[in-house]
Amino acid sequence: MIRILKYLFLFLCCVLLQTSLASWIRIFDVAPDFILIFVVVAALRQGPVAGMLWGFVAGFSQDVYAPVEWLGSQTLSLTIVGFVIGQFEERFLTLNLPLKVCLLGFGFLIDDILYYVSIGVDRGNFPVLLVTKTLPECLYTMLCGTLIFSFVFRNKPQRTHVD
Amino acid sequence: MLRLVRLLQSFFCLGHGTVLLVFLILLSVFLRKSSDSTRENIAAGALASVYYPGQRILSSVNQIRSLDAENERLKKENARLRMETVDAREGLKELARLQELVHFDNKWDYPIVTARVVGRSLGRLLTTLVVNRGRAQGIHENMPVFTVRGLVGRVARVSENFSRVQLLVDPNMKLSVIEERTRVVGFLEGSDGVSLFAMIPANTGVKVGDTLVTSGLGGLYPKGIGVGIVRVIHQGDVDVMCHLSVEPFQNFSRLEELFIMQKEPDWTVQEMLTE
Repeated sequence: MIRILKYLFLFLCCVLLQTSLASWIRIFDVAPDFILIFVVVAALRQGPVAGMLWGFVAGFSQDVYAPVEWLGSQTLSLTIVGFVIGQFEERFLTLNLPLKVCLLGFGFLIDDILYYVSIGVDRGNFPVLLVTKTLPECLYTMLCGTLIFSFVFRNKPQRTHVD
Repeated sequence: MLRLVRLLQSFFCLGHGTVLLVFLILLSVFLRKSSDSTRENIAAGALASVYYPGQRILSSVNQIRSLDAENERLKKENARLRMETVDAREGLKELARLQELVHFDNKWDYPIVTARVVGRSLGRLLTTLVVNRGRAQGIHENMPVFTVRGLVGRVARVSENFSRVQLLVDPNMKLSVIEERTRVVGFLEGSDGVSLFAMIPANTGVKVGDTLVTSGLGGLYPKGIGVGIVRVIHQGDVDVMCHLSVEPFQNFSRLEELFIMQKEPDWTVQEMLTE
């Protein structure tokens, strides 16, 4: 229960960062995605079940503020990202920092591609969005993720298996 | 009860969470494929219940954050406005004379409410904003939202003290526009949450750099609010309509203060159009 509250608090902090800090540190309309960083941290720390549950919560939170026609898109993509990244934690218990940051970038790409497919972005606009929006934001998120990961993953995680 | 929870937990964790994954994906697909009214109800229910306290906290933090900067900015703006007031008075006199001359129908004669942006859509694409004015301040759905630069969008949803603003770049946003120089009427929409596109009849002399403003047709927006500048014209040899890429007058991600025009939609116009 305490762990859930702890992650809920972290999630609220990330939402706060996303709505305030992200607009301050925006460069040429490119901002990092702190909510995705949170989902990846949860998945790496606690495995696929917690990862996808937090992905679902975070995605739904983003969806309710998006156009109602897109409801479920971010939920779907972040749930899958949580599950996929959580699998990596289960298989490789000791990941170094660069590998974790690479997983963050990988998660970002999966998230954006699934999201664009889900909201039905035109085939013509798809590569343009990937190059002009996804790629710069992915790199910026990885940069911010490096700082956050080096702080969050200082100590070895105390894993508790839910199954 | 505890046993039921444990049973559910062990069921969902089967296959390293595969069962839960399938369940959550089905739930997401249900959200995605459900009818518009169902989705509207789900989003409205979530915003009014679970997310309401969070939204309050976020808006409070954002307000505190912006108070100092706003104070300083307002002082400077106040000094500038004092200077401009003198010019404006002269301008108003001149405008009154001109209006009399051209029998200008002043359709902008509506009360204006100033609102501050307290929230943005968290998703990848910025399509909605939350502002700190709602039903208590006389705001209703479908009221036009703009800044001094031009049109921002419309009020999509209203709660007691907050409103959700649908931006021009929202893919569901469609409005009638007119090109200022050639007076050609066209149709503007946000295509994918990022850019604006307009469709106008081909070979009407519209050029890159021309300005689009609201046409006043449809009864929702008054005539003459700036929308954007034509940046690219896509037209084939045999096309009867040409597509324009339009650059809006403002950067939606940097909006802080907005104006809401307390203009109720003229549904009579809409009804007559659909008849």
